[in-house]
Amino acid sequence: MPKAGDAMTEGKVVKWYKQPGDAVKKGEPVAEIETDKVNLDLEAETDGTLGAHAAKEGDMVPVGGVLARILAEGEKDEAPATKEEEPQRRATDKKESVKHTTGEYHEAIEQRGPRRDRSAPEGDAQPAKESTDRLRSSPLARRMARDLGVSLESVQGSGPRGRIVAADVKNAKPATEGRRDAARPAGGDAGAPQLETKIIPLSAMRRTIAKRLAESTGPIPHFYLTADYDVTNLVSVRQQMIEITGVKVSLNDFIIRGIALALRHHPAVNASWGDDAITQHGEVHVGVAVATADGLITPVIRNADQKSVADIATEVRALADKAKNRRLKPDEYQGSTFTISNLGAWGIEDFTAIINPPNAAILAVGAAEPRPVVDANRQIIVRDRMKVTLSCDHRIVDGALGADFLKTLRQYVEQPLRLVV
Amino acid sequence: MTEKSYRDAIRDAMMEEMDRDPNVLIMGEDIGVYEGTFRITAGMLKKYGPKRIIDTPIAEAGMVGTAVGMAMLGLRPIVEMMTINFSIVAADQIVNHAAKVRYFSGGQVDVPVIVRGPQGAGVQLSAQHSQSLESFYGHFPGMHVVAPATPADAKGLLKTAIRGKDPVLFLESAALYGMKGEVPDDPEFTVPFGKSRVAREGKDVTVVSYSRMLQLSLAVADKLSKEEGIECEVIDLRSLRPLDMDPVFASVSKTHRAVVVQEQWKPYGAAAEISASIMEAMFDELDAPVARVTGEDVPMPYARNLELLATPHEPEIIHAVKKVMYANG
Repeated sequence: MPKAGDAMTEGKVVKWYKQPGDAVKKGEPVAEIETDKVNLDLEAETDGTLGAHAAKEGDMVPVGGVLARILAEGEKDEAPATKEEEPQRRATDKKESVKHTTGEYHEAIEQRGPRRDRSAPEGDAQPAKESTDRLRSSPLARRMARDLGVSLESVQGSGPRGRIVAADVKNAKPATEGRRDAARPAGGDAGAPQLETKIIPLSAMRRTIAKRLAESTGPIPHFYLTADYDVTNLVSVRQQMIEITGVKVSLNDFIIRGIALALRHHPAVNASWGDDAITQHGEVHVGVAVATADGLITPVIRNADQKSVADIATEVRALADKAKNRRLKPDEYQGSTFTISNLGAWGIEDFTAIINPPNAAILAVGAAEPRPVVDANRQIIVRDRMKVTLSCDHRIVDGALGADFLKTLRQYVEQPLRLVV
Repeated sequence: MTEKSYRDAIRDAMMEEMDRDPNVLIMGEDIGVYEGTFRITAGMLKKYGPKRIIDTPIAEAGMVGTAVGMAMLGLRPIVEMMTINFSIVAADQIVNHAAKVRYFSGGQVDVPVIVRGPQGAGVQLSAQHSQSLESFYGHFPGMHVVAPATPADAKGLLKTAIRGKDPVLFLESAALYGMKGEVPDDPEFTVPFGKSRVAREGKDVTVVSYSRMLQLSLAVADKLSKEEGIECEVIDLRSLRPLDMDPVFASVSKTHRAVVVQEQWKPYGAAAEISASIMEAMFDELDAPVARVTGEDVPMPYARNLELLATPHEPEIIHAVKKVMYANG
């Protein structure tokens, strides 16, 4: 009995076309068979003489059961019944056999499966183009490093292609004084001095200065210092960086890094006013003013002094998008130690910004644009220039200190390799 | 609680609901006189008669189209597909009619139609009859897609489907029909859609699955626990649409690594949707890329040895779990 369908377990002999002793040819119909679904003709598989019918018309025969044998010349018809192991097992009523079939389905499912060859190396696909000095780390490892104060640069990654994973951060020691010496160039500090958190008790003079200035101009006594930087080189470096890395960095991203490094030289600017003391912050967190439909908000680039320009660019863009979608979390817009506000994109040449408390200062950045300047040979030439205005809290920052800060920032902005080496 | 097979749990769900609500009826090929290819409808023609247990011609589009009309006019038809693969013939009725009538009618007309039947590979039914269609149907808004992994869920989810007012693709695992498990006796027992469950607690790796692959994942979890001390937390999604990711997110925030297991092909599969959701919501929690365990990207071979190679088994899941733990050496 042939298996004419997957659900078929048995078939009925409807009619024998050929009788025992009849000659049959290959392909000639021998009998009509009825299955659950169809009636079909059973065709001879070979030439020969039909032997005895092993099933009568109307008999149900299990799949694989013998219906008759086709005998070759001189061959005798042997009783095949003794070989019917399959039919024995299947010779049950129709319902039982169906149950059996479906039960087998369950049993047939292999849990263990074959062993596949995994000798070929696998792992993450290699990106077509990647920077060689990119530090690979899992998102969790980055978060843990931030929480534990571990510098990823000091951690040896154990994952694929050196990826730093959570276990590596856990095993690493928290940040120490020496770790910054080994900092990699992109996120390094370009020789900027170390910072530490310091509480400086207010002197009587400082109190008086604060009180008097506050009385005259409101809670925060502002004063303003404007500088005009030559950004010709910076514009060019930015263009090259975009071409080389593909990261869409803006001039502002360079300025953020410049500010962060300059703050390391002038910890007194990286400070906050308190009633009894001035706090100089041990870390540099730069707030970036972002205009949204609802108004101004300042997401924070944490430890901006330890981040590369490209990383800052990526982070600023992500935070700005979040800000525009009102999805900033409090820890993403609180805790800045300095703020930058850039209206260059609006074509503003220069402006003054209001300090973002509890910062001691804010830098207002105007548009970078080609302007005529007088060079060392008293010739008029065209250079890219950018005006910045530092608003200072006079309770904390005096004029000379603010000017020193702008001078340091000038070195970074006008010699932009300092920002990327 | 009574120990029942997955098959009997499905039959019980339908019979209890047919007893409760005269509007419930079943249509399908060979479900009446023949009592069902997988014997889900055994004894039902005798009990409910040919008006409620309707043997149809081999015409899936006609069956589902008729059922959509019935459902629009207040009946609660269940269409049995001999295998869910045959529902592809009726895909237009399912996707363009059942799933859209409520929307087109401005919410005036419900379509409580259920298309149910077995799916999955494993017994040499070859390329056309071994497929799993959850990602195909899960793609379309307007209907539920359910894939139970246990007898209790098979019963509870099917009752929710029958009592609901929306089209439901109820995907049964042919390989699980014989599986037994405890099923609540209470005729009011139902399992809501969109409630994933933690099938096994663990601290090291989150393994997300459904239907038969859930059972395979549980077997792997036991094995890894015993032999290697790795504790997998196994999440049973139960329904792919609606998809309840919250227990997955909660688990990933604990384990920081995830493996998604599905039987069908990798491209555009359910595991792609699930792992992308994990990445979107849990990026900062992840310590390794989410791993997918899937079938091979080929039409299911008939040959036994090739079929075994084309479907996921224990070694693939073990490999993936160790990969996200960075433990493959």
